[in-house]
Amino acid sequence: MTDPESLEGWVPEIGTRVSLEEVIDRAFDYRGNVTVVRADGSELEGYVFNRNRDVRVPFIQVFDRAGDGPYDILYSDIRAIRFTGKDTAAGGSYAAWLRAKQASKQRPGTTPAPGA
Amino acid sequence: MSVPLSQMWAVASYVVTQRLAGRTRYPLVLMLEPLFRCNLACAGCGKIQYPAQILRKHLTVEQCLSAVDECGAPIVSIPGGEPLMYPEIGRLVKELVARKKYVYLCTNALLLTAKLEDGVFEPSKYLSFSIHMDGLRDEHDEAVCREGVYDEAVPAIREALRRGFRVTTNTTLFDGANPLRVREFFDAMMDLGVEGMMVSPGYSYAKAPDQEHFLRRRRAHELFTQILSGPKRRWKFNQSPLFLQFLMGKRDFECTPWGNPTYNMFGWQRPCYLLQEGYAATFQELMETTQWEHYGRKSGNEKCRDCMVHCGYEPTAVNHTFASWRGFRDTVAATVTGRF
Repeated sequence: MTDPESLEGWVPEIGTRVSLEEVIDRAFDYRGNVTVVRADGSELEGYVFNRNRDVRVPFIQVFDRAGDGPYDILYSDIRAIRFTGKDTAAGGSYAAWLRAKQASKQRPGTTPAPGA
Repeated sequence: MSVPLSQMWAVASYVVTQRLAGRTRYPLVLMLEPLFRCNLACAGCGKIQYPAQILRKHLTVEQCLSAVDECGAPIVSIPGGEPLMYPEIGRLVKELVARKKYVYLCTNALLLTAKLEDGVFEPSKYLSFSIHMDGLRDEHDEAVCREGVYDEAVPAIREALRRGFRVTTNTTLFDGANPLRVREFFDAMMDLGVEGMMVSPGYSYAKAPDQEHFLRRRRAHELFTQILSGPKRRWKFNQSPLFLQFLMGKRDFECTPWGNPTYNMFGWQRPCYLLQEGYAATFQELMETTQWEHYGRKSGNEKCRDCMVHCGYEPTAVNHTFASWRGFRDTVAATVTGRF
């Protein structure tokens, strides 16, 4: 049940096949941490929880890996985004539950463990 | 209907005040999410899939109260995550009750008995525990992906009722639900003595683990017609009868996405409780800068096409009640007769 479309591990090359705006939209939609590379080469790893492209100076907002923030980063200051963190929406826990349930059906008298 | 008169009066006077003031967009229920952490991982939930640092975070009570004051809605619903995992849930609820907000604390009840025994809450007409129950034992445990949850929730409901708390249930239904079993479930909840029940079709969260069982609109009408036709007199619903008629396909409402605005650690969620298209820093910014015309069924937005969820359509039903004598008459008639 793991999502084959997950962007986990994706390192897009901005400007060739995909635009900065598209990558930011994907990062905003991604339920895992990403690494944002700024124009000066510095990096910030964290969760992109917001992006606003409908304002005069578009920006993203990030909570870093420690949960600190939010940090605002302008679109114009982003050189790259790498999808470095685990995709938490990839369905792993649900797949585990289904597997455990299936196994319990094959072994009468057992039930899936809590949180399976 | 099971909504207490004082609550009906509070909502009615609020709506009338808004209309007299000429406001066309106003909130009815604030969806306040103090945290995303949860002790379950339900198949149809798209609310808790976040990296660890986000799940560890939560709002402060002061941030929550500031949002409540800013929004001004008469009802505050506290979903999540699991709000009983919020370390300051007792203080938050106490402050909301002091502000005379009607609070629906939405919980899976796994921690409820312990919190009640610890004296975290005091009974109040302003506080209702809204217990997540997606059906009888088999259906509920399947929906929450854990065996034994139903059997933990039921004693917690009994204990809350014994201590004099208001208790309601909230039920999300998915494709494949058995109408007869749902009707048996309604009987079981009434036997327990809950004040009222809330039902809604699930929204097809793109992030939910189970993508196969979300209800499409026509199928939802069929299912709710089968469930709610010939309702038993003893069934009590803690929601607008016009919304239930909408679920059955007897009314064609449009979504009111600003009716249940959502506030969480990211800010004010655009445009609604279900879609996450960005965040505004203030409630005013949310209301003034969200492009509302892009949402709702008539907008053609495919994300809204099959949505029939209470957070968008129950506000429409409530507004309809106060928009005309006919709407008011229909609501009263359904309430008095118990028929939809």
